Amino acid sequence: MPLNQALHLTSMLLASASFIGLTLGAGLPEWLAALTGATLIAVLLRNIGVKSVEQFATQMPVSTIGWNLIVLGGFLGFWIDLLWVSGELLPAGLHFLMVLMVIKLFNLRLRRDYLHLYAISLVAILASGSLTTDLWFVPIFSVYLLAGVWTLLLFQLTKSSEVGGNVGVALSMRQESHEGHDRVSPRLFWTANGLALGAFLITVVIFFTIPRVSAGIYQKGFGENLRTSGFSDTVNLGAIGSIKRDPSVVMRVELPKSPRHDARPLYIRGVSFDRYDGKVWTNQLSYRRSLIEESSGTFAFRRKRVASGVELGEAIQQKILLEPLDTPVLFAAPFIERVSGAFPSLFFDGTGAVYLPFPSSSRIEYTVLSRSNTLVPADLGPEPGPYPEWVLRQYLQLSFQSDRINTLAGEVTQRQRNPYEKAAAIQTHLTRNYRYSLDAPLAAQDQPLEEFLFSRKTGYCEHYATAMVIMLRTLGIPARLVTGFLATEWNDYGNYYVVRQQDAHAWVEVYLPHSGWIGMDPTPTEDNPGAGGPVWRVLAPLVDNIKLQWNRLFVQYSAADQLAVVRELKAEGVSVRNKALDSMTALFGTFMAVLSGILTPDMSQVRIGLLGEVIGFAMMSLVVLFWLARKRPWVTWRFWRKACSNELVIAHLYRRMRTYLAGQGLSRSAAIAPLELVKITQARWREAHAAVASITELYCRTRFGHIPLTQKDMKHAEDQLRGLLELRRPSQ
Amino acid sequence: MPFQLPPFAHRVFRYRSTRITSEGLQFLIFTLAIGIAAINTGNNLFYLLLSMMLSLILVSGIAAEYCLRRLELRRHVPDLLFLNTPVTSVLAIKNLKPRLTSFSLTLCDVSADQTIFPNVEIHSLPPGASRLLSYPLTPTRRGRWRLSGIRISTEFPFGLFTKRAFYPMEDTLVVCPEIRPIYEGLLRGLFAAGYEQTVHRRGHGSDLYNLRLYQAGDDSRSIHWPTTARTSQLTIRETEAEAQRRAIIHVPTSVPASHDAPFERAVSLAASLVQHLIHHGYSIQLRVGSDRSSFGQGEAHRLELLRMLALCQRDAPREESMRQDEWPDGHSDLEGDGTAIVVQAWCDSGDGKTEFPRVLIDGELIPGAAHAT
Repeated sequence: MPLNQALHLTSMLLASASFIGLTLGAGLPEWLAALTGATLIAVLLRNIGVKSVEQFATQMPVSTIGWNLIVLGGFLGFWIDLLWVSGELLPAGLHFLMVLMVIKLFNLRLRRDYLHLYAISLVAILASGSLTTDLWFVPIFSVYLLAGVWTLLLFQLTKSSEVGGNVGVALSMRQESHEGHDRVSPRLFWTANGLALGAFLITVVIFFTIPRVSAGIYQKGFGENLRTSGFSDTVNLGAIGSIKRDPSVVMRVELPKSPRHDARPLYIRGVSFDRYDGKVWTNQLSYRRSLIEESSGTFAFRRKRVASGVELGEAIQQKILLEPLDTPVLFAAPFIERVSGAFPSLFFDGTGAVYLPFPSSSRIEYTVLSRSNTLVPADLGPEPGPYPEWVLRQYLQLSFQSDRINTLAGEVTQRQRNPYEKAAAIQTHLTRNYRYSLDAPLAAQDQPLEEFLFSRKTGYCEHYATAMVIMLRTLGIPARLVTGFLATEWNDYGNYYVVRQQDAHAWVEVYLPHSGWIGMDPTPTEDNPGAGGPVWRVLAPLVDNIKLQWNRLFVQYSAADQLAVVRELKAEGVSVRNKALDSMTALFGTFMAVLSGILTPDMSQVRIGLLGEVIGFAMMSLVVLFWLARKRPWVTWRFWRKACSNELVIAHLYRRMRTYLAGQGLSRSAAIAPLELVKITQARWREAHAAVASITELYCRTRFGHIPLTQKDMKHAEDQLRGLLELRRPSQ
Repeated sequence: MPFQLPPFAHRVFRYRSTRITSEGLQFLIFTLAIGIAAINTGNNLFYLLLSMMLSLILVSGIAAEYCLRRLELRRHVPDLLFLNTPVTSVLAIKNLKPRLTSFSLTLCDVSADQTIFPNVEIHSLPPGASRLLSYPLTPTRRGRWRLSGIRISTEFPFGLFTKRAFYPMEDTLVVCPEIRPIYEGLLRGLFAAGYEQTVHRRGHGSDLYNLRLYQAGDDSRSIHWPTTARTSQLTIRETEAEAQRRAIIHVPTSVPASHDAPFERAVSLAASLVQHLIHHGYSIQLRVGSDRSSFGQGEAHRLELLRMLALCQRDAPREESMRQDEWPDGHSDLEGDGTAIVVQAWCDSGDGKTEFPRVLIDGELIPGAAHAT
């Protein structure tokens, strides 16, 4: 393919990559996306040589002034877009950018026009990077990089051609015919791809090593936040149902200290509610206070959650990557003890929920240490003890009375003796006798809870949890409704939970006098076969893991990560050094023991370790130096390289000689040995004997004697071969 | 002991240089802008694009370095060079790299005073391949001309930077004065003076000197056809020299600095006379300042005289040098008869402001003789 045509194609590819990136990231208007796409295709077809497109292009004579007027028109359009249509600078600017690209694509005549197109495409891919963090950016970026390398390479090569062809013969002379050099040769093809690969690898290295400085005045998130429901201070019964069909990923939760087989469903707590008025749950303890910052970025609760002497529950360490949500709630397994992350401050309310100062507009990553309460045996006895006053005041509220619910609660728990057993009985009753369904529009009912319990007997988590809380409160057992997520989707590839909107969940926390808040879930298991076909069900975790790694390694990569890498390397270095020292100490242990006998006790105590290090290091260095001086590996390497190179060259010359001799009727058989061939030549073709003998001697010396050839030898061999090739064997 | 750079550093700093192209400048401006945007927003995808730009710069440097490495160069220049007369210089370049092709090479000769000579471009040089490049080389100064090496530059791969490598290749050439046509009046003066010194010998005259058999290399125009027809053997007609002439060309070198240009013209005129007279069979002695050659003829003698003229230097007029420049005592110094030709760039007694050299043949000034040069 000619270089100019290849340049045109790669330029189109470059523009296409940036256009696709911008379209996916910014969601360009359909008409503009269609116009730009059609223009790209048309220009591409024209370049390939489709005649109809070429004819159309030639019938569209627009002068330079005409194109400038069109650009001015586009600029006017930008202002109209900015002031009346989009109303924002960024969308209007992006629309104008695409208009400029279309104009430039139609007007690619001079090299300057190509440069303008590259600048536009660079701004477009930059805009794309500012508008998205999705995984699709990776292939777009890779294609852009590949196309960029090819384009710049071809732009440079075609520039040389033009300079050589046009500018001052007196100043610059091209010594080769352009024929054969103005095409993309296989050598150039692999060179360009190798450069692209090298550039890609170096890009990755630079990306991870370039210092991250966040000194910006314009830092914003990416796109719109996910809309959630059920995590505000006031929630209508059934609010969670609206998001239960949404598969969008809300967060990913890693359990660094939990083994993989322990991946049981994980409750991720959001907020809890204490008051129910028959239709709406309200959090009356929503007053927020600042969490105390223990150290930079680490916040902890310093409250006494349970009575002293009570056995602490299981600690769960979580690493959570939270998508941008429209709620400031910070989700984690119950109950949060410590949170670490890049937060300016954190708040908590009276129910134990933790909040950000404001909803995050970008993904955030944080680490949480949670500890659940364990069920204390004292709470299983017939007289569990009194409840604290604040618990009774807050969590026994019943804003409405229902005799049927009271009766039901009494019937279900008539045989149980203590609050925990009663709660368990209600949980079992709801789980066994009611059916899970998302098709339960109970919100429109006057008494949705009674409708759920006595009429429909179908509902989803909120209905079950509300029913259990109300039934418990009618029995005088403090309880509250909790909303959050129930993580069940375990990703085997990345060892983390994928939490989606559809995993939004509501459950119950029951207060027991000795144990504190104990979580209970009355919702029966949902019969959900999962979305997608079997292939997708296999691939989905893999894709999600790639997305996670992309987010973690690239999108979320920060200065803290860089510091962590440095610390890790430092720790590894220290570890390696310690291991080496241990080995050296063991090695020279006897020697040290003898030495310690000579030295005074305190000297041997204090200095012996240091002395061991120094002597060990010195001896090791001596050994290495001795080995280097004796073996001289660099000489061997250089010799080996030179020898290999010489061997290849002389072997090549020898092969050419044999081929030529075979063409002249000598040594047609490959079985003839080199020296035998010399004798044959001496007998049958005396003129060629000297050259053949000389080349064979050099060949044997290098090939079998491994004696390197000098430059003079090589030149001699070449001259001999050249002389031989000029000889013609007289016909017999 | 003077400080010496280690070989690697020497290669990097002494023999390598990099210049940015206009496209490269634009590229750097974009890189800077993206860097500022990345710092400002903290957006990692901006950092990714910034890394891409930086990696392209880095790859550009590495690829250019590999393009310029391990090239073998040999220069072939003709032995005899004349001022302002282009000669064809041949450069052999070979890529010694085992695998990598060198692309977009531009080669130029560099003289000791860093003057650059024409660029020669090579699109690509595959591994192990060699090319012969020829280009015109025009000396611009008389005397020794030192070529210090070959400068190879490339904009490969992306045209962002022009990387240059210098391959030292010392070559000292001798540039002879420019040979120009000689003024007709001067030729007439020479012709008149030469008649007085005829010798019977073979030469370029018109009278028959001898007939002999044709030998390879003889001018076919000298074949004597009647004898050839009679004897059926190619016979050459040798002519008698019209005049066996001897001449001494004297170029005084005591010339003030203000007369540098006339001195160069005088040297050029002397060289033209040498060329002309030797071509016409004269036996020539050249006196340049205090240097003098022997009388002689032929190509070797011509080259020796031209070399003397190529290397002669102007001296500031001093008493001693002016005494050496003076014609010893009329014609008494001549070894036998001969024409004395003095080419003066400057005359102490005459009009010192003349732009053209004066020519005296046997003490007689040839008016306007130098204007033809």
